[in-house]
Amino acid sequence: MSDIQSEMRAVAKELLESGEATVVIGWEKGTMPYNSTPVMIRSAAEVDKLIWDEYCQQNLSPYLIDFIYTEDKVAIFAKGCDTRAYNRLIQDKRITADKCIIIGVPCSGMKNAKAAARLPEGAEVPMANACKECRYPNPVVFDRKIGQDVTPWCTEKNFADVEAIEAMGQDEKAAFWQSQYSKCIRCYACRNICPACNCTNCIFDQSASGWQSKDINASENEFYGVTRAFHVAGRCIECGQCEMVCPSDIPIMLMNKKFIKDIDTLFGAYEAGIETEGPTPLSHYEVSDPEEFM
Amino acid sequence: MSNNSVENFEPKILVFACNWCTYAGADLAGTSRLQYPPNVRVLRVPCSCRVNPQFVLRAFQRGIDGVLVAGCHPGDCHYTTGNYYTRRRFLLITRMMDYMGIDSRRFHTRWISGAEGPKFQQVVTEMIEEVKAIGPNDKMRDDIEIDVKAVETNE
Amino acid sequence: MKTIEKAKLDGFLSQLAQQYRVLVPVDYNGLTQFAPYSQVQEGVSKLYFDGNVTVSPKTVYLPQSEAMYKFRAQGKKLAIEELPELDKQQVVFGVRHCDTKAIQCLDKVFLDEKFEDPQYKNKRENTIVFSLACNNPKATCFCESMGVDRAHAEASVADVQVYDFGDTYGFEVISDKGKACLDAVTGLGETESKLPDQKPQTIKFDPSGLPEKLKGMFEDPIWDSYQFKCLNCGTCTYICPTCHCFDINNKIRGEVGMKLRTWDSCMFNEYTLMAGGHQPRAGKKERVRNRFLHKLQYFNEKHGMFLCIGCGRCVAKCPVNLDITKFIQQVIGQ
Repeated sequence: MSDIQSEMRAVAKELLESGEATVVIGWEKGTMPYNSTPVMIRSAAEVDKLIWDEYCQQNLSPYLIDFIYTEDKVAIFAKGCDTRAYNRLIQDKRITADKCIIIGVPCSGMKNAKAAARLPEGAEVPMANACKECRYPNPVVFDRKIGQDVTPWCTEKNFADVEAIEAMGQDEKAAFWQSQYSKCIRCYACRNICPACNCTNCIFDQSASGWQSKDINASENEFYGVTRAFHVAGRCIECGQCEMVCPSDIPIMLMNKKFIKDIDTLFGAYEAGIETEGPTPLSHYEVSDPEEFM
Repeated sequence: MSNNSVENFEPKILVFACNWCTYAGADLAGTSRLQYPPNVRVLRVPCSCRVNPQFVLRAFQRGIDGVLVAGCHPGDCHYTTGNYYTRRRFLLITRMMDYMGIDSRRFHTRWISGAEGPKFQQVVTEMIEEVKAIGPNDKMRDDIEIDVKAVETNE
Repeated sequence: MKTIEKAKLDGFLSQLAQQYRVLVPVDYNGLTQFAPYSQVQEGVSKLYFDGNVTVSPKTVYLPQSEAMYKFRAQGKKLAIEELPELDKQQVVFGVRHCDTKAIQCLDKVFLDEKFEDPQYKNKRENTIVFSLACNNPKATCFCESMGVDRAHAEASVADVQVYDFGDTYGFEVISDKGKACLDAVTGLGETESKLPDQKPQTIKFDPSGLPEKLKGMFEDPIWDSYQFKCLNCGTCTYICPTCHCFDINNKIRGEVGMKLRTWDSCMFNEYTLMAGGHQPRAGKKERVRNRFLHKLQYFNEKHGMFLCIGCGRCVAKCPVNLDITKFIQQVIGQ
């Protein structure tokens, strides 16, 4: 880990000194050992802020959107999921590749920061849920790469948790989601951190339109949750950030993974954030799609 | 018309009907004097592809007991391809409704052409019967409970 | 000092629940918040005393979504249903000292001399607060630095002071309401033991002079370095015990409807959006600046106290760890 860290600092220094990049985005130490946090660096003197540890889970690619109207050339450090998020943004035409320098960092899985916050100091912290199921620990696209590629520890999508819900009875399912969404405080952290939620104007920011009332109850919250899941269906890159930032511990990925599972079975296996060209599953169709509505 | 007690329950069914096929189909059912129960509210949309899944969720929130989305048969879309997108979308949403614990008998998508008046009659009749049997929808409901009766004001 | 063994706490709370509406800190499916004790009795939630709850007890006085009145209109006919006031007194057990202080901040806003908020006042007057002193602060806590007395709860808010003696809780009466409440409970022990030791907090600073310093810093470059990582989500404002901004909305279903008061957040686009479409606080920088200045300067100028009481919730829960303590320390250090 520390090798990668010193390499990160060296690369950042080189890019900033040569003027190849005007901004470098990486991670720095947070308040607690378990919350490493994004940092933006503009001068070579600051590169020692950069760190690389087991809690650098935050996806940095969405910050690229902040620079679309500036003159900056932005370098970001990117794990596998960050590069998929980067592809997501390119495919959605939210950013252009010529302004970005992707420095790929192979990742061997981040730890579960929420668990770390609850566990006593020194206890073994489990891997973050999304990382356990990560199939792309190595950057899928990069301009430079540091560190050695790792062998993926998971090769197939795992839908055991989705199947567990599918196996429930109808009322049991409804009660489960009701209990989960009654916790939602609608802070919209899941939306704001999501690389697929990159719309310039979100329907949930327009209460006057009547789409979503500001009333907080399980029904409205579930409306929010399902709608958001549908909006990212076929585009979710499974970084699991939504679940990691949720202050209420709602299993948001269970919704997203349900769509991923159904898309795979109905329309053929699809991996979001691997390609930057071509349509996503819900932006095109096949005449031969399954027919259930006759 | 509808109430929440199970006896004498008259379901509210919302039909999203595509302007070019299903709406004409419903019209044909009417002009052909085909009878079906009056529990249906038809909402005309330009294309079945216009129906956003949020429309369906909103309907359930506001007290609808069953939703039917209906449009042209694949290949017949007035806009050439709209209903192919509908099909992809609603294959997913139908499964999501079930995942959320909403009875799958409450939500259907059907292709009903302008010539299929009898099919419209048959689909809605069957659906009303089905929803009647399973009772009012209580999932995702977002109602206001209020006790008072309105009184005359000076305004 | 009266005491109750922790093992008998359930019995104590059940006794209270016969007479009062009892609210306790609970863990409900992973979300910690204040909820009716009946949830614990039904087994839906578990009592939670390991540190402070995520959603602060401001929900007791200012729920996230609260009906103000309901109405029914038919043609020219109209009826308004005023919502009933609390039918019985409520007891909030285990409010930490930081949150007690936070309620004092809310009092400044909602029980202002000129404008009293009737719904807030009704709840405030009919609530008995059992304020629990923390012996083991979390690593994110900094209430002492923000002027919270860790040994004695804010007397204008708390009615009973609770101390944690390991196996027992000790009660010290602060107000008459609190006395009446404790008198109604049987089976309490008695002890003369000295107050428990309180571990020191790790985050420590002296914020005196901060408002004056911030006064000249509206255009300071410091904001650029803090705003960058903010997501503009509402987590900090919604879990904050002192953030009190609200919005008033209608909820209408045909001929019936209601006025709603819901929380609002200065992090959201709609918060300052004007009718003509102008957005005076367009970006992260303006919004982060407003939140920090409101907490540390504006409120102080108006009411003579900080609007941050050091509970550490935002430090712990902010998705990107945008840490207000680092900001304060940097400003003081300047």
